[in-house]
Amino acid sequence: MKKEVVIIGGGPAGLAAAIEAAKCGAQVLLIDENKRPGGQLFKQIHKFFGSKAHNAGIRGIDIGRQLLKETEECGVEVWLDSAVIGLFADKKVAVLRNGTTVTVEAEKILICTGGAENPLRFPGWTLPGVMGAGAAQTMINVNRVLPGKRVLMVGSGNVGVIVAYQLLQAGANVVGIVEGMPKIGAYGVHAAKLRRAGVPFFLGHTIAEAKGTEKVEKAVIAKFENGQIVKGTELETEVDVICIAVGLRPLSELAQMAGVQHDFIPELGGWMPLHDGDMETNVPGIYVAGDTAGVEEANTAMDEGRLAGVSIAHTLGYLKDEETVQKKNEIKDRLNALRQGPFGERRLNAKQRVIEKGEAV
Amino acid sequence: MSKIYDVAVIGAGAVGSSVTYYNTLRGADVILIDKGDIAEGTSSKSDGNILVCDKMPGFDAKFAKASQDMFPALSEELDYEIEWRQKGSLYLLETEEEIEIAKGFCEDMKKCGIEMRILNKQEVHEDEPLLAEDIPAGLETISDGSVYPIGLAYGFALKAEKLGAELSLHNPVKGIDKEGDLFIIHTENEDITAKNVVNCAGVWSPVIGEMVGLDIPIQARQGQILVAEQTFQVARRKVHEFGYMLTKFQSGTYKRPVSERVERNGVAFVFEPTAANNFLIGSSRKFAGEDISNDIEVMQALAERAMRFFPVMENIKIIRAYSGLRPYTPDHMPIVSGTPVPGFYIAAGHEGDGIGLSPITGKVIADMIAGDEPFMDLSPLSYDRFIK
Repeated sequence: MKKEVVIIGGGPAGLAAAIEAAKCGAQVLLIDENKRPGGQLFKQIHKFFGSKAHNAGIRGIDIGRQLLKETEECGVEVWLDSAVIGLFADKKVAVLRNGTTVTVEAEKILICTGGAENPLRFPGWTLPGVMGAGAAQTMINVNRVLPGKRVLMVGSGNVGVIVAYQLLQAGANVVGIVEGMPKIGAYGVHAAKLRRAGVPFFLGHTIAEAKGTEKVEKAVIAKFENGQIVKGTELETEVDVICIAVGLRPLSELAQMAGVQHDFIPELGGWMPLHDGDMETNVPGIYVAGDTAGVEEANTAMDEGRLAGVSIAHTLGYLKDEETVQKKNEIKDRLNALRQGPFGERRLNAKQRVIEKGEAV
Repeated sequence: MSKIYDVAVIGAGAVGSSVTYYNTLRGADVILIDKGDIAEGTSSKSDGNILVCDKMPGFDAKFAKASQDMFPALSEELDYEIEWRQKGSLYLLETEEEIEIAKGFCEDMKKCGIEMRILNKQEVHEDEPLLAEDIPAGLETISDGSVYPIGLAYGFALKAEKLGAELSLHNPVKGIDKEGDLFIIHTENEDITAKNVVNCAGVWSPVIGEMVGLDIPIQARQGQILVAEQTFQVARRKVHEFGYMLTKFQSGTYKRPVSERVERNGVAFVFEPTAANNFLIGSSRKFAGEDISNDIEVMQALAERAMRFFPVMENIKIIRAYSGLRPYTPDHMPIVSGTPVPGFYIAAGHEGDGIGLSPITGKVIADMIAGDEPFMDLSPLSYDRFIK
């Protein structure tokens, strides 16, 4: 089976790319291993903030619905419940679908499989009740199941703080947020909501142990200095859930399999594929976007997807040079705007390094 | 003047490591040179079968048996765990025609001292209860076994080092000059002087041969292997389809009843249980240069063929796949011999049998260099046979 464009991963980057390429006339197949597309958008029930061009005031879940509608309208073929198990020579995509492996030959491939939560190892970390914050968020916002009654959150980045607040909204008692660094990682606006709700932040602390026989019953936290737990500072509290929110890493196994050059970029999650200014990798015709191309957030993911979609449509001959330049510039301006401010600037600089290295290979 | 080695061995796979070991045992001053690490090429991409069942009756089978007979002692004398297990092997016969060919083959092999017997339908299913119900017969070879191939190469090389051999790894050979009776081997790190050179570079041996003006007709024949998860026992020992012989030698007029993709990729079912309770599935044969990437079609064909013989595998996960290069010669026999260049020997071209034939290859090369009579007539392995 042959397809012009195969997009792997139907999150914000993949959906936005699919829409952009299909609107220009390209034949697009979008593949997602889940039962419905949208990636993490459908568990983001909070309102985005920033400028109007960046969906300020709109909830992630509504952005997801809008993208799905547009995807349908512009004729993108969508395969759900279908897992890409490998990329092979000549851009062959092997897909596990309906219990059998289908091979699709693509002219262009976009890999936007997102990120994965980093694990944290400590005594008791394998007890039931210790889970990624993303898993807890899926349980409450998608499956409507409360994972527990008393929750300790480890990590005060945006994910940790937003999920902690949503756990409160869902009826759990968040007993505290533990942060190894001396200050809160998340945007002030998110952290303030928790402060107002009386949730204590334990800065300069880490999780020392999860105790319990069959499942988590108690959490032990302790002061954390110079990468070490300070003995004698342990605090113990009863919990039934310990959520881990200590960052994400790019999911780029498929890109590695395809021979894409990688590098270690700590600001963007670590080991990640290099790409050029148009999101194309050193393997011609293979593109990356979204968290796969460095962990950021949904708005940058969507715009990186659009950039890849435009580049792909252009190289396939569906977009004239002039229009392409104009579209790319609009998107790149928005991406630059998204990477401003104290949080954005680190990412902007890191992204520039990725692109410089990517264009050098 | 720098040190003069008695023997310089180029290539630290199972064969080169064995050549190093047996020459060292005889008291020679030996250096083993490789562009990479021990067992980094074909020896780490292979399965660990030590078989006589897939050899042609006659010289081929006798030579392989002599090598196989060395393993029990090797597992004692080498310090490295080589995981030698001798449970025999089982050929699966799929059609009446295969049964007929196998009966004749079995008789011919018995004449060479290879213990084989035909299993009828009931016997073969008692032997392997999870076998596809329709398989009509099998052919058992009593003496076959398996090893951990990387361990074998390490075992040879490290024991040789302990006995005084030198290892020069990550040191590519750039060129070879002959000065009088001595070879000057130019490597990336240094010049090495030796009285004898043994080219054990497998797939890469033609490049080394060219350095002394020898044309070595060895080509890379790619093979892929699937690795299954740890699971219950699917089969207790090495099992493969009799059609494996046919894909290996590409001889005869018999055509297996197989799908186009199985045929196209030279796929024949080979099952090897590992010491870790998972298993490997082979085999495929393809000329693809030095490409060792996996091909999804070959992977599918391997899985298809495996499920034909053991339907239970449908529910077992494949966790990995890898591909390697067999050093192929046009007549499927290795080159283990001297050459028109005095003092330059070749021990390469074992195709899929390098692990199994490595002990005997090392031993006979050591005999040749020491000037001893070989234990049998080795003319079928001579380099001369390819000189027109």
